[in-house]
Amino acid sequence: MATTDKEVNELIKREYEHGFVTDIEADTFEPGLNEDVIRRLSAIKGEPEFMVEWRLKAYRRWLEMDEPDWAHVGYPKIDYNAISYYSAPKRPEDMPQSLDEVDPELLRTYEKLGIPLHEREKLAGVAVDAVFDSVSVATTFKEPLAKAGVIFCSISEAVRDYPELVQKYLGSVVPHGDNFFAGLNSAVFSDGTFVYVPKGVRCPMELSTYFRINAANTGQFERTLIIADEGSYVSYLEGCTAPMRDENQLHAAVVELVALDDAQIKYSTVQNWYPGDENGKGGIFNFVTKRGAAIGKNSKISWTQVETGSAVTWKYPSCILRGENSVGEFYSVALTHNYQQADTGTKMIHLGKNTSSTIISKGISAGKSSNAYRGLVKFGPGADGARNYTQCDSLLIGDRCGAHTFPYIESKNKSAIVEHEATTSKVSDEQMFLCRQRGIDPEQAVSMIVNGFCKEVFRELPMEFAVEAGKLLEVSLEGSVG
Amino acid sequence: MKQAPTLSAAFLHPAGSSLPEPLLALRKERGTALVDMPLPTRKTENWKYSSKYLKLSDEMAISLPAQGKTGSSLAVPGYKVVFRNGIMIPEASDYPDLDGIMISRFGDLSDATAADLAAKLDGTLNRNTVQLAGLNSARFEDGLLISLSPNAVMDQPLFIIHEVDADASGSAFPRVFVEAARHSQFTLVEEYISAGSEPVMVNTVTEFVLADSAQVTSIRLNTEGENVQHIGATGVRQQRNSRFASHCVGFGGPLRRHDLQVRLEGEGAECKLNGVVVTQGKQHYDNHTTIEHVAAHCNSEETYRNIAADQSHAVFNGRIHIHQDAQKSNANMNNKNLLLSTGAEIDTKPELEIYADDVKCAHGATIGQLDEASLFYLVSRGISRRQANVLLTMAFINELVQQIPVEAVRDTATKRLNQFFDSTFEEA
Amino acid sequence: MLSIKDLHASIEGKEILKGINLEIRAGEVHAIMGPNGSGKSTLSQVLAGNEAFAVTSGEVTLNGENLLELETEERAREGIFLAFQYPVEIPGVSNLQFLRTSVNAMRTHRGEKEMNAAEFMKLAKEVSRQVDLDPAFLKRGVNEGFSGGEKKRNELMQALLLQPKLAILDETDSGLDIDALKVVADGVNALRAEDRAIMMVTHYQRLLNHIVPDYVHVLAGGRIIKSGGRELALELEEKGYGWLGIKEDAAEAAN
Repeated sequence: MATTDKEVNELIKREYEHGFVTDIEADTFEPGLNEDVIRRLSAIKGEPEFMVEWRLKAYRRWLEMDEPDWAHVGYPKIDYNAISYYSAPKRPEDMPQSLDEVDPELLRTYEKLGIPLHEREKLAGVAVDAVFDSVSVATTFKEPLAKAGVIFCSISEAVRDYPELVQKYLGSVVPHGDNFFAGLNSAVFSDGTFVYVPKGVRCPMELSTYFRINAANTGQFERTLIIADEGSYVSYLEGCTAPMRDENQLHAAVVELVALDDAQIKYSTVQNWYPGDENGKGGIFNFVTKRGAAIGKNSKISWTQVETGSAVTWKYPSCILRGENSVGEFYSVALTHNYQQADTGTKMIHLGKNTSSTIISKGISAGKSSNAYRGLVKFGPGADGARNYTQCDSLLIGDRCGAHTFPYIESKNKSAIVEHEATTSKVSDEQMFLCRQRGIDPEQAVSMIVNGFCKEVFRELPMEFAVEAGKLLEVSLEGSVG
Repeated sequence: MKQAPTLSAAFLHPAGSSLPEPLLALRKERGTALVDMPLPTRKTENWKYSSKYLKLSDEMAISLPAQGKTGSSLAVPGYKVVFRNGIMIPEASDYPDLDGIMISRFGDLSDATAADLAAKLDGTLNRNTVQLAGLNSARFEDGLLISLSPNAVMDQPLFIIHEVDADASGSAFPRVFVEAARHSQFTLVEEYISAGSEPVMVNTVTEFVLADSAQVTSIRLNTEGENVQHIGATGVRQQRNSRFASHCVGFGGPLRRHDLQVRLEGEGAECKLNGVVVTQGKQHYDNHTTIEHVAAHCNSEETYRNIAADQSHAVFNGRIHIHQDAQKSNANMNNKNLLLSTGAEIDTKPELEIYADDVKCAHGATIGQLDEASLFYLVSRGISRRQANVLLTMAFINELVQQIPVEAVRDTATKRLNQFFDSTFEEA
Repeated sequence: MLSIKDLHASIEGKEILKGINLEIRAGEVHAIMGPNGSGKSTLSQVLAGNEAFAVTSGEVTLNGENLLELETEERAREGIFLAFQYPVEIPGVSNLQFLRTSVNAMRTHRGEKEMNAAEFMKLAKEVSRQVDLDPAFLKRGVNEGFSGGEKKRNELMQALLLQPKLAILDETDSGLDIDALKVVADGVNALRAEDRAIMMVTHYQRLLNHIVPDYVHVLAGGRIIKSGGRELALELEEKGYGWLGIKEDAAEAAN
């Protein structure tokens, strides 16, 4: 039944829908990175002195660091001086004061991406921060959120308006020297989202950021900081797309989450950066550091990610479970096709008593792609009664792809319990035959089987995103079944 | 960036030896390749958890002379070969001439046979991942070649007692090479024991080459003392329909490292790898296994159990690598760990690297402690808490111990495990 | 309706069907009996279009149309239904979603409107009760964690939902206790219709006590070696396959 393997592989061909370029006048820095560039960037953003110093310190540290080489990915050497570190749509005056002042071309771009920003068309119940290249261009629903006491703004605004919070928490979860890409981000991050949910507040709506890379030869270095104060709850989603270009572009983001006592943060990502073409040309290098600190007792941090884009993904959303009874979760679907490479997973660092974590990872490899799960579960000596359950499953489609599992499990506490299970299988000929015998098209059958494989993860996504995620995995036949 | 420490040049001077010329030439070549070899550090992926236990002083660089006497703990019911400090001791060895089976120390080989052997040595191992065991090839002074002709069946297990006994620091480099021709059958027991108290390194390499339908069982029992840093590697290559079974039982030490690498190169080949490790005090043990499915329709089954008590540290790294053409592979790996004390550490990394799609692979790993409900059940039946601990801990590994097909090893392993439990679980 | 002429089929180069001839007309129930390994399941799989089997010669027509030229899903849409002997599990895909996709694929093919979720739910619940399957099964993954008997009833439920022209039931009776057998038999009898043919593949005649076939064929060594009416099954039951000169073990070994 060797024929069906090839067919199934053909079936999963996808067109990249978001590959258009927005023609907009932009202010873009000359490529290159040095202390002057960082000072200029900081000056444009009108940052206070502490921020400039913070960036420079990070930059000096970064110069001494080495690019990591342990991931199961390969890509040409990046020339960090060939990248422009700032690109923003030209605007008449500093920041638009209301959505009406946002360049209509930009609004159209987001509409095209399915993210209308206008008051009357806004996504019901979802507040959006739209980040275009290096800057946040619009944030919706600011007022109702402010009424609830929730701060939801671009990180640039937060640096100016809430310097105490920023100073206290920025870099507290992912310090400068954490890793090469986080170091670079700390030096040059241009924008991103800031969220603060005060004590006892349940954020009244979903918050989301939509990241769009548009300009050529730029990198996007956004920084997100979410703080959930005692007893609060917030659900946050992010989406990402980029135009189709033959050159690779770098996206090196840092996301920090802080959950205090009894607080909960649910962070969902649907990542659909341009993956490159079917010959592996172009695409985004997605080198991202995401980490949450569950520092409060009974706090909870939950990561859900659906990764279908990017040429190379290097990403390990993690939880540091410091608070007693704190909970960490990681639900992931990573699909790679053509020449995409993904090395993704999570770290669950159990430090506090009775902490628990769950990891569900579903990897789907097709074409000539490579898909690796890399995870660390660690129990410190103080993690009495801690628990972890890990399940990572890989689905292979076609015989020229790779699926790998690299779980690191470390325990220093005798009462901690970890269970890890992993399986690798393929869409079986028997499953395909059953579906087709019931009159179902082969492409629909593959899509159904793949979606079923991912169900445990999709279940964790907020409704609108679950639908989007399902669609992303959907496949088109393109008349290739022979 | 700080410069990583390199292997001291003192380790690159092999002792004079009566080895045949081709083997001396091989030693020399391997030695040259090791000049300035970086020593593993925390950043070296396959030594991540163990590099801190590696303590090679220049005093340990000298080759230990073939003297002393240790005495095996095994009641050897079969044929016996004794190696002392890496050199075979014919007068302590006892095995008959067997039809179709050649057993010969390297020193006694003709130049032609030695040249043939030199071309095969290290052929089963990935030298990039057994960096330090590579030192064996630069330093071995003797070795044992076991060559089975087609259809040869050894009627009893062959025991190799690897003794280390020294009143000064130094190193020993025992070396074994097994060639099993088609349809031959063979069981090898290797016991590693020691006497003395000066820090020594035992650096061993054992290789198995299995032709079509050969069946080989390898049993490895390590009970060396607290002065021995043990770095061992076992390499296996299997052709069509061959069967290889490995049973390793290891007790911890200041450094215990065993790399076991199996390549399934012919269709229908199967391997089964079992391992039991117990550590106590400040002991260490690190098992690194790799199973490569190169050909289609091969099966592998791996089961390892670790028990770490006190402040000890046990490591398991199991890697299954399915090559692109290895369709219809079936691979199962299971690693369970018992952490008996907070202060002890267990690290496990069950890896899958898969490049073929029509495969069934699964791995599972757990770390935990003895089940309180079971303990309570036993205690409620009048069994002492200590005895209950011993019973349940033994139960955790007994299944694997019972699978060891040689009674003498099973008995010794059980006896040593009981001693381990006696000193681990205090009297109430 | 179905016409099979000198059908030869093989798997991995080994010939399993060695010249099958069979005519099935609308409204008829045919039982295909034979020892294990005689080619019964192969025949079912080949008719449904399993690509694991290669048809080396012969012809099969459904209402005059060449069946062998059609893809598996096209045959299904033309009305061929196979109740699998060993239904495969599809984790994470709910039975309901699977069945609705299937029913709507058939409806679209016939130029009918697709059924919406509510309409379909109502229909599916009805049919699941008919085969004594708790409607809760509709929400579970396709065959996921179903017992042997539940899988068989799930297959039968699908036949009732899809209303095929030709229903091929491959050992739908195996592994069932007597109560479950009765439920399945009632379901099959409910399927009987003027415009529908049923081909039952079975090892034992037990099921035939409940579903009386019009014809019984004995398959051995890849050929139909004897055909007759209901009485042939009874005779077989009494005398065993040895009566026809078939050694069960030998037949198995040959395949």
